[in-house]
Amino acid sequence: MQNFKNSKLFGFMILAVMVLFFYALFKFLTPTNFGSPANLYSYFQSSIIYSVGGCGLYFIVVMGLFDFAVGANIVLSSIVGVILSEKFGYIGFIVGCLGCGTLIGLLIGFLYNQLNVPSMIVTVGLMLVFESLAVFVAGGVKQTLDPSLRFFSGAPGNIILAFLAFALMWFILNYTKIGTYCNAIGSNEFIAKNMGIDVKKYKLIGFMLLHFFVGIMAVLTVSYGTTMTALTGMSTMSRNFQPLMGTFFGVAFRKYGNPISAIVIGEFIIAIIFNGFVALGAPTTIQNVVTGVALLLIVTLTARGKRGSVVK
Amino acid sequence: MNSENILLKAEGIDKHFGITHAVDHVSLNISRGEIRALIGENGSGKSTFCQMLCGIYKKDSGTFTLDGQVMNVKNQVEANNMGVSIIVQEMGTLSGLSVAENIFLGHENPFMHRGIKNTRAMIHEAQRLLDEYGFKNIRAGSMIDNYKFEDRKLVEIVKATYMKPKILIVDETTTALSQHGRRELYNIMNAVRDDGRSVIFISHDLGEVLEHCDTISILRDGEYIDTVNASDVNEDDLKRLMVGRDIGSAYYRTDYGREISSEVVMSVRDVSVPGQIENISFDLHRGEILGFGGLSECGMHEVGKAVFGASWDRKGNVTLSYGVEINSIPQAIYHSVAYASKDRDNESIILNESIRNNIVLPSLNNLANKHILSRRKLNRFAKEFADKMQTKMQGIHQFVSDLSGGNKQKVVLARWLGKGSDILVLDSPTRGIDIKVKQAIYALMSELIAQGKSIIMISEEIPELLGMSDRILIMKDGKINGEFMRSESLNEEDLIAKMV
Repeated sequence: MQNFKNSKLFGFMILAVMVLFFYALFKFLTPTNFGSPANLYSYFQSSIIYSVGGCGLYFIVVMGLFDFAVGANIVLSSIVGVILSEKFGYIGFIVGCLGCGTLIGLLIGFLYNQLNVPSMIVTVGLMLVFESLAVFVAGGVKQTLDPSLRFFSGAPGNIILAFLAFALMWFILNYTKIGTYCNAIGSNEFIAKNMGIDVKKYKLIGFMLLHFFVGIMAVLTVSYGTTMTALTGMSTMSRNFQPLMGTFFGVAFRKYGNPISAIVIGEFIIAIIFNGFVALGAPTTIQNVVTGVALLLIVTLTARGKRGSVVK
Repeated sequence: MNSENILLKAEGIDKHFGITHAVDHVSLNISRGEIRALIGENGSGKSTFCQMLCGIYKKDSGTFTLDGQVMNVKNQVEANNMGVSIIVQEMGTLSGLSVAENIFLGHENPFMHRGIKNTRAMIHEAQRLLDEYGFKNIRAGSMIDNYKFEDRKLVEIVKATYMKPKILIVDETTTALSQHGRRELYNIMNAVRDDGRSVIFISHDLGEVLEHCDTISILRDGEYIDTVNASDVNEDDLKRLMVGRDIGSAYYRTDYGREISSEVVMSVRDVSVPGQIENISFDLHRGEILGFGGLSECGMHEVGKAVFGASWDRKGNVTLSYGVEINSIPQAIYHSVAYASKDRDNESIILNESIRNNIVLPSLNNLANKHILSRRKLNRFAKEFADKMQTKMQGIHQFVSDLSGGNKQKVVLARWLGKGSDILVLDSPTRGIDIKVKQAIYALMSELIAQGKSIIMISEEIPELLGMSDRILIMKDGKINGEFMRSESLNEEDLIAKMV
């Protein structure tokens, strides 16, 4: 029984029960506006965009780091991708988004290692820089993706790209040293160093991987929305949190050995809750309150420490 | 010693931590096929010496030569690759990783092919090793977090020995293991020796050292003292070599037949903690040392937590003489109850804080003047009690993490002395502590009961229970199974009969 309670299947069952619970709840409250197969498909399509970012964030959150520049990078990479797509088509679009994203990750990781200050401080500072850089690159103009380049705006393009990203994440976690070393660094950096792990190198790789996934998220985001406008004054901050919620699910369900499915299903649960409130006609503020509370409840019920244990 | 038979040659190994000379030009040789104990008081430099050998610390000067090859390793993996591995005193496995990932951490290359890890092969190989060692209940593919401390120690043993190191260092590991785990470890040590390789064994348990080691090297204050054959010495000889003088008779209390006050200072009634202890009832008297003994998992450690209000799901009553019930830690501290946990580093001390801040912590309310704290007053207070405990330190602002186990325990006791606690719950007060500090702690305990303070002493060491307690309660399977009064005729067999 104890083995089953620690198994992947058990973790997956908890997630499935949560999906069914929230679906049933909103279906009961608003049977006509919510939860048709077409609706669910639509919720799923919107949630996988955040799931991709959630996968990227997992690499650094599990090491005990944080990144406030995710939103700024989505905007900057989208703008760079759209501008390059005008000249080089799909290749320019994808290479622009992914290349810019990864370079940003490289820069963040490099500065974090060199400055030796907390990741939160480094990324808040760089967020402001990237926001301004995006305005400069876009020339103050809204960037629109050409209609001929919108394969990833809906199914099957978005689903294919997202699932390629999930497969990549699964491969990295299970079949490379990176996944093991990120977990080891998060567990005890001192021991990890003593095991010969180059901690700085793997933190740099963590940031690069995060922002590579952010680059993929940028492709999906600008394809879905078709335009991207550069904003300053920390306006990109709000884009950090939706993918982060999925990451929380991933970290919480890590003990069951299936963080990726937890990120994907977790984002889907958030989407169900969010759209459920939309269907109920609740104001956005209420939706945010309830989504936040639901996240806290879910993570508390699934991942909280034992009573009396220390939680930081 | 035949030079061809020398496996490890340490020459002039030297290390400073700030102004502390932790290892002072130590030179020693270890032969092939021997189990060498390294003993000394806390802070004598034995762990530091070994940690330099396996790359955890960088030495200031000196040379390690292993099998004719000079070692200049920067981390444990490099040391492993040269043939040195270590099992550490505290937790050495990493959460969030599988058992297999822990075993092969830093050594994944045999399972890598063009950057891709063959996870299945890694798990298969880890399981083969676990089965071979007889640890079949541990599954290589499971997360390490699913296993208890002792099983994780067994995983560490596999990790440290599967690659057949030339030198295996076992640093104070046995205290974390049950009898079964200890037996397995001794078997592994013997197998290493029989294979012509060598073991460096660090332990404070001199009986264990004499029983399982061939030779014994003694360090004192960072200096090499001597190496002796285990068959030529006894425990008293070793104590003398470790301390530098005869510590003889003043080790435990010598008083017998002392009248214990009838005044009950703490009354414990029907205390239960689900899955740990059941219906525990006893009275603690003024000026009494009440010993709790039993096998490691008998529940005695939970009793300490329960009476201090640190068990969240405790049932039953813990009542002080003036009727106050203790149900939480703040209540306990407020009403002059102190607790020193067996898990010193995680539950008793704040490692990344100064000695001063550790000592003043529970006394801040008393030291504050209208909520304002005076640094001078705090410094004076901390220094007074650190000095009273004869803490070996650079100053009260030194971080506790730099101290040896014995000195950390002195800081814990200084904290409660400063608080003026009347009831002290001391769980394994001398765990992993050398005889000189032990002697000091025993002397302190005698002084405290003479002042009318009361002590609950939980201990896994039977001689300590017999030597220090006025009364001993033996626990078995979460219940009290026997009670003994202090007596010269009381012996270990009497207690063991009630433990098993």
